[in-house]
Amino acid sequence: MADGLAPWARKRGPELLARAEAEAVAVLRDALIDAALAERGGGVSTRPPLRQAAPEAAPERDVPSGEGLWAYCVLRAGEPLPDDVQGVHRASALERVKAGGLAAVVSRVPLAEFGAVPLRENLNDLAWLERVARAHEAVLDRALARSTIVPLRLCTIYESEQSVREMLERERESLTRALDALAGHQEWGVKLTADGDRLAEEARSRNQDVAVLEDELGSRTGGGAYMLRRRLERQVREAVDALGADLADQVHAELQDWSSDAVALPPQNPELSRHEGTMLLNGAYLVETDRVDGLRRLVAELEERHRALGASIELTGPWPPYNFLPGGRTAGLA
Amino acid sequence: MSQTNLADILERVLDKGIVIAGDIQINLLDVELLTIKLRLLIASVDRAREMGINWWETDATLQGAGSDRELDSGQLERENRELRERLERLERQLGVGDGGSGESSRQGTRASDG
Repeated sequence: MADGLAPWARKRGPELLARAEAEAVAVLRDALIDAALAERGGGVSTRPPLRQAAPEAAPERDVPSGEGLWAYCVLRAGEPLPDDVQGVHRASALERVKAGGLAAVVSRVPLAEFGAVPLRENLNDLAWLERVARAHEAVLDRALARSTIVPLRLCTIYESEQSVREMLERERESLTRALDALAGHQEWGVKLTADGDRLAEEARSRNQDVAVLEDELGSRTGGGAYMLRRRLERQVREAVDALGADLADQVHAELQDWSSDAVALPPQNPELSRHEGTMLLNGAYLVETDRVDGLRRLVAELEERHRALGASIELTGPWPPYNFLPGGRTAGLA
Repeated sequence: MSQTNLADILERVLDKGIVIAGDIQINLLDVELLTIKLRLLIASVDRAREMGINWWETDATLQGAGSDRELDSGQLERENRELRERLERLERQLGVGDGGSGESSRQGTRASDG
């Protein structure tokens, strides 16, 4: 991620430094005024002394003690506990809490870190979020290897085992339905990227309007040429978008035909997901387990077929079936 | 073991799935804020910039050591960061601003299977 932002940082560096300098000057000025006022009259300053630690934002915030139960997923009560994996809090082992023929996989977490108030702060700390999200996902991965699971969202936390049991009872119907629907299936992710330049080249050669405009441009000069060039640029951009969308639709449609269920998620940001090229499709597919080999072959074949556009298809999985839970949100983030 | 792309994980564990309430309720406003931030992670940075959302741009830890700035700017950067933190505290007290400060995160790639 830092790599992606480096060029940006280079560009904005001088401006940031200038801003920092201005801020530093402002602080110095305040400090000098404070000092001067203090010397003259002692305590005339209306401003709290600079060195005094700023009062914390939430004075009512007392650190909670005790433990909560972090829930990872729900599976059938007879299924084994995922092994060889650590939970979101290193010191605690995974446990099962059972009720109504179902079991929730949980582990104990200190409320000092996972209580409502600290949690809110921690969620805004990307390093913390990354560690916890990866740990949560690692448990699901292990569970997934042996059982059908209903994955729970990050930060589903209970105060007691009793509370977990009540949840299992309360949600039993929808959980059971989800387990039934997901049995024998796996979620796989497919990301289609294409080479931007080759896409543009191809779009140009396929688009009649572009060819006409290019011809016309050759015989124009001055303001007319400028306007024409702008139109040509727009035309090319639209042609590229259309070609990309078309390619994504084709690939998605074929994968969808192979799957029990499918959903197209918003493409990821290249600066942060670090993929190369233009991401045209970010899809999730629910596939019967014995059709997964076929999915692999299909992906390879699709990649080969669209090689001319610099297409590259990444297949990842199996994932916890987050995108295919009945009643779950599948609309994506966009 | 291969490292999975963080964006792949986050777009699943945070935004998808059956909504089952836990006992610990997270302030919806803050979750909203979090969602906005994560949208930036996995959706369009450009669009976010257009909207004036740019928390990561002011986050020193996200800018990493990749830049080739002069060494003596380190002091100013540090000062800048401290000032920002102070500003954030003040904003929090006033109830404005997002008050959050993300941290750098590693990006890994999951082994490609195709």
